[in-house]
Amino acid sequence: MTAGNPLLSDRDVAFLLYEVHDAAALLRLPAFADHDRDTFDLFLANARSLAREVLYPAYRPMDEAAPTFTDGRIKVHPRMRTIWPRLCDLGVITASRPVDVGGQQLPRTVALLAEAYLMAANLGAYCYAGLTAGAAHLIEAFGSDDLKDRYMRRMYAGEWTGTMALTEPQAGSSLADIRTRAVPQDDGTYAIQGGKIFISGGDHDIADNIVHLTLARIDGAPAGIKGISLFAIPRLWPGPDGLVDNDVSTAGMIHKIGWRGLPSLVINFGERGACRGELVGYPGHGLSYMFQMMNEARLMVGLNGVATAAVAYHESLAYARERRQGRPAGRRDPHSPPVPIIEHADVRRMLLRQKAIVEGGLSLLIETARLTDLAHHADDEEVRRRSALLLDLLTPIAKSFAAERGYDSNALALQIHGGYGYSSEYLPEAWLRDQKLNSIHEGTTTIHGLDLLGRRALAPGALQTLGREILQTCSQAQAAGLDLADVVALQEAAGAAGALIAELAGRHLADPERMLRHSHDVLDIFMTITVAWQWLRQATAARRALSRGTLSTDDDAFYRGKLQAAQYWLRTELPRVAPLVRLCRDEEDSYANTRPEWF
Amino acid sequence: MKILVCVKRIPDPDESLKFAGGGLDYSASKWVPNAFDEYAIETALRLAEVVGGTQRLAEVIVLGIGPESQRQQLTQFLAMGADRGIIVDADPDKLDTATVSKLIAAVFKKEAADLLIAGKLSQDNEGGQVPQRVAGLLDVPQASFAATVEWDQAAKALTVGREVDDGVEVKRVPLPAVVSVDLRIVLPKSVKNGSTPATHAYQEGPRLASLKGITMAKRKPVAVLKPSDLGVAVGTNEQVVGVAAPPARKAGQKVKTVEELFEKLTKEAKVI
Repeated sequence: MTAGNPLLSDRDVAFLLYEVHDAAALLRLPAFADHDRDTFDLFLANARSLAREVLYPAYRPMDEAAPTFTDGRIKVHPRMRTIWPRLCDLGVITASRPVDVGGQQLPRTVALLAEAYLMAANLGAYCYAGLTAGAAHLIEAFGSDDLKDRYMRRMYAGEWTGTMALTEPQAGSSLADIRTRAVPQDDGTYAIQGGKIFISGGDHDIADNIVHLTLARIDGAPAGIKGISLFAIPRLWPGPDGLVDNDVSTAGMIHKIGWRGLPSLVINFGERGACRGELVGYPGHGLSYMFQMMNEARLMVGLNGVATAAVAYHESLAYARERRQGRPAGRRDPHSPPVPIIEHADVRRMLLRQKAIVEGGLSLLIETARLTDLAHHADDEEVRRRSALLLDLLTPIAKSFAAERGYDSNALALQIHGGYGYSSEYLPEAWLRDQKLNSIHEGTTTIHGLDLLGRRALAPGALQTLGREILQTCSQAQAAGLDLADVVALQEAAGAAGALIAELAGRHLADPERMLRHSHDVLDIFMTITVAWQWLRQATAARRALSRGTLSTDDDAFYRGKLQAAQYWLRTELPRVAPLVRLCRDEEDSYANTRPEWF
Repeated sequence: MKILVCVKRIPDPDESLKFAGGGLDYSASKWVPNAFDEYAIETALRLAEVVGGTQRLAEVIVLGIGPESQRQQLTQFLAMGADRGIIVDADPDKLDTATVSKLIAAVFKKEAADLLIAGKLSQDNEGGQVPQRVAGLLDVPQASFAATVEWDQAAKALTVGREVDDGVEVKRVPLPAVVSVDLRIVLPKSVKNGSTPATHAYQEGPRLASLKGITMAKRKPVAVLKPSDLGVAVGTNEQVVGVAAPPARKAGQKVKTVEELFEKLTKEAKVI
């Protein structure tokens, strides 16, 4: 495209897909045998056209005019009415779903990159599709054939949309405390009563119906998570004569500082005692079912973190090449023309840090998608098992890295724009507002720190599997001729992190509070190491390409940029691991032992 | 009705030009379909399909001339909705405009097509000759630079609105014919086929291919022909002597007074 934000670098996407993550190897799996590289490339080409030509131009208008709430209904930005059918037509909702449910069985590895373009262009617009896909997938995985016929197919076709309805005002991070009630009826349905909050896409005027995949308690169910069941609750009930009111009401709209294209709502079920829902799967399994959607949604949030950082990175890169200010140190002649600010080393520091976060984070997200593909479709059962284990470990890490470091990256994009960046005339501030949500929704960073250290890192074999992958990368890096010091640094950091987990687990299994005290730092350690692992993989591929020689000028520059970004991460970020490990091991107790009344 | 549409792959026009050895360096180019050919396929599909129904009024055949292995742009057009493809396997660097036109005309005859829809030019060399040459070789009517097309099915004719310097010229051409299309052909109401409701508004621009369309495209038949199969001798009478970037623009001049400006405009620039 001419003079527009590319959203993501096409060259980088091809590099990560084929040179680092070997997407071509997926074609050897029977599930993907019908595809070929042309399919991958054409799908990505069409997705990026839709992203650049349709979604991106609607981003600012949708940020400026949030949905409206009048007479109990939400009206979203009118542009969504043209965007929604085009997202459905492109096939993003069902891209990686099996053929027998109407999907195209594309590897997640490829579908994820299409989503990355769409999210970078307009995250609110894309997420109607993402949420609908996740909600329909729950019915596909756990619902009866009857539910699939009546709900899933319409959702996958984009006729209806879906939501995840978990949070209640008194139960956010703590889902065990939800109160929404479900009372069995003679016809097999359940009467639903209760209120949910922060329901993204919970009401709109872009499709005929909305199906809320809702957690509720069947009367008489035990307290805590074992009493939670999953229900499909349509806003309008599909009766024999069409859609009729189902007593689902929109009670309020949250006025958000970002993600303004997608309404976040208070939804009440059964205000008049006339709301019906349908049980999905077995009673009492609701939360475990919902974890499928939550884990998918966490990766979607992670990808969104990367995409939101990416679009801002490209904006600031273009700005830094154009904006002329100052003269290089040592050439202060006021008659000489000012230079583009990219000529200043500290601006390049900010750009390289963004590049390292964006492209390192994207690589980590692609790795989770590849593991998803292998966990479901690898021939070898052992590969499926190990992939699922590693995916489980990496999910909170990838999500939190993208959210937390993505926010740093978005702040740098604004910083590069100087005073202009701190104005609503320029877009970086909007992306910064958007990005902030990613460390909050789908589990706050705190929750993911606790989840990682308290559960996922302790899963038998999980850390060993990660360790083996990192070692393999290290030996390939060494064989490609990368600096041994960098390879050893990653090995040592990974070893130290593994030893730390073993030590904490052994020391404090009896005292979880002390064990989890530094969960945030442990998460930081794993974020830093796993992205260093991805950068070493990228550096290995780049080094190999450079040694082959006869590269075009563009390719030569591309690979050299990769080596520089890898160097940045391995030499300026990875060294943060050792002091963090010490902090955790020493149980530094400043905040742990500060009493609430001392603040 | 049989509609033939040509697709040419070109280096991405949004990439900056690179020079090597006195010519253009395409070694790292990203290849994309010529945009005017995308408008052509969109036109053909709008003529062929009946919105709101499943009926097809025409078979749409995509023709690409180039190495058999490089067919991604042809696949894209099949994925958008064309029915089948034809590749004439030849090295495009060894073909001049006259030969390309002969190949297209030969395929048109072989297929007994009723209509050729082509982009008005290719964005890489902006020759703008092929549709006219093909019409000449076939000795059929042509309407170039179409902004609107209306198909009169009963009369087997098209009414074409052509963009000319001073407005739009409306021309009626009996089929078989050649039509070359311009940018405005992809406005929401530019193409009418007599069966899709005339009030129907298409999305502006050429359609994207859906993932489903892409996977289905691979099952659509693509015939591979050699130029010799078509009785056309490959060769070129064109020769690239050299390609160079235009000279950089010179800096402007600053004048101190209106008189000085007037002086320069009259004496130096001689524009007043």
